[in-house]
Amino acid sequence: MKGSLTKYLQWFFGVGSLVLLLWALVDSNTRAKFLTGPGLTNGALIAAIALGVVITYRGSGVVNFANSAIAMYVAYVYAVLRKDGDLFLPPIPNPLALIEGVVHKLSPSSTLDLPDIPTRISFGPNMQFWPALLISACVAVLLGLVLHFLIFRPLRAAPPLAKVVASIGLFLYLPAVIVRRFGIQPFTVEALPMFKPAKRINLPLGISMNSDELALTIVVIVLTVLLYAVFQLTRFGLATRAASENEKGAVVLGFSPDFLAGANWVISTLLTGLLGIFAATVLRTIDPSVLPAFIIPALTAALVGSFTSFGWTTFAAMVLGMQFGLVKYLEAQHHWYPKSGNGPFPGMERMLPLIIIVLVLFLRGKSLPTRGSISSGRLPFSPTPPRWAIRYGGPALALTAAICGLFIFGPTFRLALANSLIGIIICLSVVVITGYVGQISLAQMAFAGISAFLVAKMTTEHNVPFPIPILIGAVVAMLVGVLVALPALRVRGVNLAIVTLAFAVAIDKSVFGNSSVNGGFKGAAVKVPKLIAQPRDVQYNILGFIAGDGKQPNPMTAMFCLVVVVILCYAVANLRRSATGRRLLATRSNERAAAAAGVNVSGMKILAFAVSAFIAGVGGAVSAYRFGSVTPDKFSYVQSLTFFAFAYLGGIASVFGSISGGFLVAGGLVFTVLSEKFGVPSEYTLILGGLGLIIASVRNPEGIAGAVRHLGLSLRRRRAAPDDSAGDAPGNPHVGQHDSAPTISDVQEVGAPS
Amino acid sequence: MALLEIEDLSTGYNGVPVVRGLNLTVNEGEIVALLGPNGAGKTTTLLTTSALNPILDGDIRVLGKSVKGRRAHMVAREGLAHVPEDRSLFFQLTVKENLKLGAAKGSANLDQALGYFPALDRLMDRKAGLLSGGEQQMLAMGRALTTNPKLLMVDEMSLGLAPIIVERLLPVLRRIADETGAGVLLVEQHVHLALEVADRAYVLSHGSLALEGDAKHLAANRHLLESSYLGGAELEPSD
Repeated sequence: MKGSLTKYLQWFFGVGSLVLLLWALVDSNTRAKFLTGPGLTNGALIAAIALGVVITYRGSGVVNFANSAIAMYVAYVYAVLRKDGDLFLPPIPNPLALIEGVVHKLSPSSTLDLPDIPTRISFGPNMQFWPALLISACVAVLLGLVLHFLIFRPLRAAPPLAKVVASIGLFLYLPAVIVRRFGIQPFTVEALPMFKPAKRINLPLGISMNSDELALTIVVIVLTVLLYAVFQLTRFGLATRAASENEKGAVVLGFSPDFLAGANWVISTLLTGLLGIFAATVLRTIDPSVLPAFIIPALTAALVGSFTSFGWTTFAAMVLGMQFGLVKYLEAQHHWYPKSGNGPFPGMERMLPLIIIVLVLFLRGKSLPTRGSISSGRLPFSPTPPRWAIRYGGPALALTAAICGLFIFGPTFRLALANSLIGIIICLSVVVITGYVGQISLAQMAFAGISAFLVAKMTTEHNVPFPIPILIGAVVAMLVGVLVALPALRVRGVNLAIVTLAFAVAIDKSVFGNSSVNGGFKGAAVKVPKLIAQPRDVQYNILGFIAGDGKQPNPMTAMFCLVVVVILCYAVANLRRSATGRRLLATRSNERAAAAAGVNVSGMKILAFAVSAFIAGVGGAVSAYRFGSVTPDKFSYVQSLTFFAFAYLGGIASVFGSISGGFLVAGGLVFTVLSEKFGVPSEYTLILGGLGLIIASVRNPEGIAGAVRHLGLSLRRRRAAPDDSAGDAPGNPHVGQHDSAPTISDVQEVGAPS
Repeated sequence: MALLEIEDLSTGYNGVPVVRGLNLTVNEGEIVALLGPNGAGKTTTLLTTSALNPILDGDIRVLGKSVKGRRAHMVAREGLAHVPEDRSLFFQLTVKENLKLGAAKGSANLDQALGYFPALDRLMDRKAGLLSGGEQQMLAMGRALTTNPKLLMVDEMSLGLAPIIVERLLPVLRRIADETGAGVLLVEQHVHLALEVADRAYVLSHGSLALEGDAKHLAANRHLLESSYLGGAELEPSD
């Protein structure tokens, strides 16, 4: 019954989209807007990224979220070589700089100048086309090898989470390197020499486009056919498909899965890179933020092709690329187009990928390829918070933060403390959904933003008094979270990551980018109670002590954040200790086994999404009150990824992990120390964050919290060994706790002088 | 020359030996059964022979060449076919594609494999994941045969299969050994069935060799087998 309904719906949507496509092609007005040069270029670029994604997925089972960043990176290499003749290098840590720094600190007058690691290799004023292309191709190949050998080969047997995390790390890292080297402004790229001077080509049906636009489209289509042939007809293709499914099976037949995966990585980065270069020359410009965003339509296209079909992937990519122009045209021309305020509803072209993803997942659901059914490595350990961490550790940390914020920190560090505290809230929301239940949500800042903009509306337009908007905002975020949870009931792992990311982008562009919501350039104002308003030069007398230094920011702002953080930390820690918490973890480790043990798996997922979105909503509301205004940039999809990164770095599965993660966030305490005390520029946040994320996913999937826990355990074992040779003597209370693995308590153990 | 020579082999996991001091040979056209209770180290021995698991001590020579330090896929290319316990089929590929992956030298090998397992012929376009347990086992063995192996190792063919299917599959191994001259090393829990087709048998217990001898002799003297399964201490010296 259900099967036939799905079949019916599939037909309905299939025929429906065909009719829409025909309409777009037959009507001469829409056709002129649909089959344009820029539209095809967009489509070809999306296809290039999507094809790379499909190749790596087939070769190694990794969904590479960073493939758009790879296209951008290689295109930059080419563009810079052509323009300046330089091959730029990513920042490499220089141990000599440390010596230099120490010497300068000890004797400020010294003129010690040790050699620096070069930032670029110069080949002269500018480079001819062929050598530049060759070097860029080499860089692309090298990138493929590095990705395979250093990142994804060690992660072969890791759970999907670790692979997603590593590729998100890369997605953050590569653009951060570009920003560090060239800033965020667009970089001009010249057309390829064979397409100069630009020639206009007139095609039948009244379509005309530049010759390079047409050539790019043809190249992409030819490559698609070629890839299909290679994977379907050659032994290499067959072996790749086989090895991606069962490595042992391939080995006993005499294939090296390692070689196959590596070869496919190189093919993927080379293809993506070269097409990225071609597309950049057609677009005449590249920049480190627009191009990486193409990953959303690219993943959508790959999803339409089930991560296996090159033909469907390219077809979907082309349609997704071409619809931009059509949507803009409809927006301007038609009265039926959805309106918002005075203008057309923004971001509809970004909504389309989300709609397609949800439809594809809804219709195909479980038939989508899910790997890792056989090998799934250990998930990050989620320790039960021990009683004494809850009784003493938590209050001690909170008190330290309060004393620092009120009496010790200057303005810069008060800001950093508030940033870290809000970071902790968002990280907590990630811990609940990803750490406890294993569902990868990349939309946490979208939930936060929904709540934040609601708070702005409620306080300014409806005068809702202080704490109530936080609750209302969080509850609305929670409802949206439940809505997003519905696809989570059908898909898991990396597919869910794609859905949530597409959701984050769609909300980002169509809601936060909506001028009737976001309050324009200055952001949506929030009416903040005087006590916690940040821009106030005040001092307080607390029991005879003077709090604050009479400068902005108001220390009470950070205290407000602290109160919320303490409440939420205890709530999440108690959730983990409760029977519900155990059910959540059971769902994470094996859904079938959990269901067999009587756990309502769907209910647990919905609950986790609800709690997580609620916490994120509180975070957004607190952020709104803290800044006194809400701007869309704080809640963009990249922010969702960044916070996810820091939550993972801190430790994805424990409250202590999210506290560590909060310390790490952009503008938080750790980076403020780095920039204030060591002069590390702020662009390094994402370079270090991205790199840290990659390293953490490969080396230490439990993050800082896990590292601290292991350190604490090994210290204790060492200490316990001499005076307790019998091992687990019942008289030693510490021994019994080894397995229940405390979190906060460990810090104090380690920090204590020994 | 023996196709497989295992000499004083110690192997295990994470440096902890599971198999100790094992000596074993398989000759051309011969079926050798490797028997023993759970945890005796049978599967570990096969994995180590395929170079999927490192050798701790001793040596293994396949077709005269030591596998020590060699990559598993290289050993496989030289004529060793291994049907692992989990069968390691490619569920997303069709039966035909699974078979084609083994058949490096063209369709002759494929036809030969199908000759032993004619039931696969009508399943060629079905995905391997949709096959029944017995069909999967046939495919796994057929796929191993397409590589035209000199030495075939079959691990727990009977796992999850009805005894009646095992009774049908084991004689095929006998035919393979007789007709292609390949040596077969067979790990099996159905001891009496295995001894019916095997030429010789080895019994492992707790990682060391408890008993070895002619299959017929062992089949006739069940008490020897029983005592070796139930504990090496009461073992009588075998002649």
